[in-house]
Formats: sequence, C-alpha cells, structure tokens
Amino acid sequence: MSRKITYHSVRASLGIPLIVILLLSSCKKEAPAPSPYQPTPYQIEIPFGFPTNLNIPADNPMTVEGIELGRYLFYDGRISGRTHPDSLMSCGTCHLQANAFECGIDHPTYTGGFPYGITGKPTPHVMLPMINLIWNHTGYLWNGAVLNIEDLVWMGVVAEHEMNSDTNRAKEVIQQIPGYPELFQKAFGSETVTMKNIGRAIAQFIRTFISANSKFDRYLHGEVQLSPSEISGFILFTTEEGADCFHCHGGYGNPLFTTHLFYNNGKDSLFTGPYEDPRDRYHVTGDPMDYGAYKATTLRNIAVTGPYMHDGRFATLDEVIEFYSHHLVWSPYINPLMHHITNGGVQLTPSEKADLKAFIATLHDEEFLTNPAFGPPEKFPDEK
Amino acid sequence: MTQRLLLIIVLFCFGCKKETPPDEQSQQKIILSFDFRVDGEKLQTDTMIYINEAGNHYLVNEIQFFISDVTLHHTDGSTYLIQEWKDIHYIDSDLPETQTWNVFDNIPAGSYQSISFTFGINEEKNQSLMFLNPPESFMFWPQYLGGGYHYMKLNGKWLDENQQISPFNFHLGIGQIYYSYPDSITGFVQNYFQITLPNSSFTMEKNQTKEILLIMNIENWFRSPNTYDHDKWGGNIMQKQDAMRLACENGQDVFTTVVKK
Repeated sequence: MSRKITYHSVRASLGIPLIVILLLSSCKKEAPAPSPYQPTPYQIEIPFGFPTNLNIPADNPMTVEGIELGRYLFYDGRISGRTHPDSLMSCGTCHLQANAFECGIDHPTYTGGFPYGITGKPTPHVMLPMINLIWNHTGYLWNGAVLNIEDLVWMGVVAEHEMNSDTNRAKEVIQQIPGYPELFQKAFGSETVTMKNIGRAIAQFIRTFISANSKFDRYLHGEVQLSPSEISGFILFTTEEGADCFHCHGGYGNPLFTTHLFYNNGKDSLFTGPYEDPRDRYHVTGDPMDYGAYKATTLRNIAVTGPYMHDGRFATLDEVIEFYSHHLVWSPYINPLMHHITNGGVQLTPSEKADLKAFIATLHDEEFLTNPAFGPPEKFPDEK
Repeated sequence: MTQRLLLIIVLFCFGCKKETPPDEQSQQKIILSFDFRVDGEKLQTDTMIYINEAGNHYLVNEIQFFISDVTLHHTDGSTYLIQEWKDIHYIDSDLPETQTWNVFDNIPAGSYQSISFTFGINEEKNQSLMFLNPPESFMFWPQYLGGGYHYMKLNGKWLDENQQISPFNFHLGIGQIYYSYPDSITGFVQNYFQITLPNSSFTMEKNQTKEILLIMNIENWFRSPNTYDHDKWGGNIMQKQDAMRLACENGQDVFTTVVKK
C-alpha cells in the first residue's frame, strides 16, 4: 500500500516535535549574552566567465572584519617586528597596488624591479603579481612551493631577503599597538595577536584583489569594441599558427589569463650543476621534466609588472614578445606546448608584434590598480 | 484530544516513511575506468621509447580528453543514454581522480549488446564557457577557431627528420575551412565522432556494479587506416583540418574494452 505524505500529515507530524521543543525551551535557563565575536561573512562576486571554485581555506573563511584587519596589517610597517622608522617594512612596501601588487620596474627603491630585504639581501626571484589569487589552486611563488597565502605571510615576515624578523617580535609589536587587539577580537574572537591570525587576516585581504574590468572584459560583455589592431592581436594570441599564447595564458574560455601551471618555456638550455636553480619547479616535484619550469603568470595588468620571467631578464614587453618570436632555446626539458621551438619561436612580423602587444594592453585594468579598497588605509588603528 | 494526538502520532510515523516500487529498489551501477597503453603495455610518459607506424620515434607527456553521449545498447534494440547532458566526462593522464567515473545512473538490469560514446563533444553540447573550472576550462578551444572545447590534447615529442627532439601537440577539436590559410575562415568542421566499443557486451544483474575498463591504445592514433607522420604534419594541427580528419578516422579503433565482473 502506498502512502502519500500530505500537507496535513506533515503539519501534524511537525506539531508534536514543536510542542516538545517549546516545552523544553520554556524550562531552559536564560541563555548567556551573545558573544561579541560575530564576524560578517564576506561574499565574493564571481565575474562573468570566471571559475566558481574559490581557494578559500576551510579554516579561514573571509569576513568583513578579517579583511579590514588584513588591510591594516598589509600596509603597517611595524609588522616587521620593529618600530624604528628605518626598520619598517610592510607587505605594501614592495607590493605596490599601482603595479598589480608587485614592485614593478619603476619602484622608487628597488631599481629595475629587483627587490631586496631589510638586510639588503636580494630576493631569489623577482616578484609575481597579486591578481585573482583566490582562483589559484597550484601554490605560490614561481615554483608553487608555498601552498597557501597564509604561509606566504609567514615567509615574508621571517625571510632574510624580506623582513628578516621573527614571528614573536612581529606579533608582540602588533599586540602593543592600540586598536589592534580590538580588531583581532572582531575578526577572530580573541584580542591576543597570533602570527596565525596575522597570516589569516592578510590572506583574506589579498583574496579580495580581483581584476575583471579590463577593456577585454568589457569587450566580452559587449560594452566596447576592440580596435582592428587589438582584434588581430587577439587572434594571434589564440591561434597556434599565430603567437600561440592561449594554452598557457588563457583567453575567452579562461579569463584568468593563466593556467597557474608550470612550464619550461625555452629560456635556457642548461639546468643542472652550476646552472641549477634550487627554486625551479623541479625542486618541488623531483620530476626532471620540471627542470627550468616556472609558473605562467597572469597577463592581466602585465604592462605594469615588469621585469619579466622569474629572474627578471626582460625589462619590457617588447623584449618578451621578441623572445617568444625569435629566441626560444631548446633543451630536453622544454614543455611540449612550446612546439614553435623548432623554428626558434613563433616568428611574428613587426606588425604582428604590435598587434599582439595592443591586445595584451586590453588586459590593463585601471580600476584594479586604483581601487581604494585595495589601497593603504587613511589611518592605522592607533591613529584614530 | 487524546484521540487527536494519537492520530497525529500515527500519521507522523507513517507519513514520513518513504516507499518505492519494488522494481526501483534494486541498484545497478556502472563504473567506467580509463587506462592508457602503447603497443599493449602501460603508458610510460616522458620516455622516448615508442615508434609509430610512420617510423617516428616519440614520447607522450600527457593526454587530456572528453567523452560524452555514453550509450548502452540493449539486446532488445532499446538504448540508454547515461546522465544526459551531464555525461561529458573529462579524463586526464595526470589526474587519477578523472580516470574513474562512477556513473550516477541506476542502470536498468538486462543484457546489453554494446557501449558507444562520442569522442569529444557533439555540436549541440559543445558550448563555450560551459566549463568554468579547471581542469575542464583549460580545454577551451578558441572562439576564432570554432569555440567550445578541445576534444583531446595529446602532448609529446618526436625525433624529427633532422634528428631533433621536437614537441608535438596532437590536439583535436572543431576544424576550420580557410579561404586563405591561416586567415579568412569560411566555415567550421565538427570533428567529433562516434565510437562503438568492441567486446563491450555485458549482462547487468540486479544489484550489480559493473566495472568497465576503457583502454586508449595510443599507437592507433597514428596507425590505421591512415599512417600519421609527425614529420609531415609538424608540431601543431589545430588549424590543419586535413591532419585532424586523418586523426579522427584513426580514432575509431583507438579504444578497447575490458568488462570486469
């Protein structure tokens, strides 16, 4: 005999438990006052065509309060664990918003875009931009060795070629600054400053750095038209007989303009012995096919993120295009996607190079580079 | 009041019980798993140990492909299309989790003559931005070249006629007809094709889970009916419809099947 669940039976079946719950509730002692720790969930708006899978660690959900705290910490030079004006160094010291959160070739201190730490020790590689990292699932740095942004913050604080501090000093200094304990309470439920929560807050802030309003994005939305040169460049970008960029650097079907994967793109021929880079992808995976392989960078805002390649060997985009066009170097480890190696490159003509550069320029997102929400706060917590 | 409460309790207890017809209580499942072989042996990537029909020495670095429209052909002539629009499945030689597909459907018990599928994605389903997340999204096929997604990326290297180890990207997808190559496209060619798996008959008993292994025999992409020569076609074929046509014709016998108990 089949038996349907009717509206009335559901209402009736709900009635009994409800009565019981009400009875139990009425006997319950008065609940304690609600905790002041009630962070507000932060909702990411996923732009058209972007992936829906976000890299937000389960133990660090994004909240309005966490992001606010992260913004202060990102730009506060006292996170270096020191207070003397000559010893201040924050994330924002090198990661300039105007240069897509890397130092850029025009940095006032780090000439040519080659940063160094408080000690004067240069960083092993040049910087990578911080754009759309909430969609990065393959690790950070050029070799993907650091698996999440939270750990990257730790590295920035302690590395000799960055802040050269230690986590105790960093958290103790921040703990003593009026206003910060309250912000930690709001963000993480405790006024005690921990290095873990410093990392979590800054990571939350960095995950808000979304670029999705370039001319190319507006073209995809049908809001603007590309110029004939830009269209030609787009076709070159997405064809194997053209510049053949799209397999590694995306396009219409991959608006991140990177796969976040690692490729030996034909810069060098030797990778072992004196030529070995202990920070290439091989030293993460142990797979010989990863010798000389590094992360493909996003091409969004690429014009402001020079110098280029992991070692900053190219100062301009023209040099990069020239490299891919004529100067690829064969090695047994070159990625199979670099099939133009047989001819030394994609062999673009001068006008094709200009078109390709014009298309790449459509990935410039001025809103991202000037969005006040990503910039330094007007005042730090102790200045209010 | 007591009678009413009793009635409520009775209705509550019986009302929440889920009953299904007896025929729907049995659960038959299919697990499709995938493997890659060359000349009968398990694929060894990144090692130049293979020789194709044209005499090219080659290695395979990675393989990524889609199959769709997986259809079970019953001995009574009826067909069962699994998962309808959700059946586009991505397989990646580097991602073991993609190499086992636990099909959601409850497969009707009975005797099946064969299994067929579309290699790639048919024209109706192959829509750009259908996949937003990697790794499937990384398979996008540029709009200018026809849009949608690659059917397959088979990346490797071969020892070319100059004895140089050269990369090849054996990529299949929508082909183009050119007025003047490589510009001025005047039409597109849907290169997806149907494969009926040999030796894929099976009987599905009630409450049985049937595991079916699909083996891609990579050498067959280059063997028959067309001898595919990397020296002739070079490292890239996305804009070479003639090469993709040969490849798709060769693809008919690329897969073999093992139906496990």
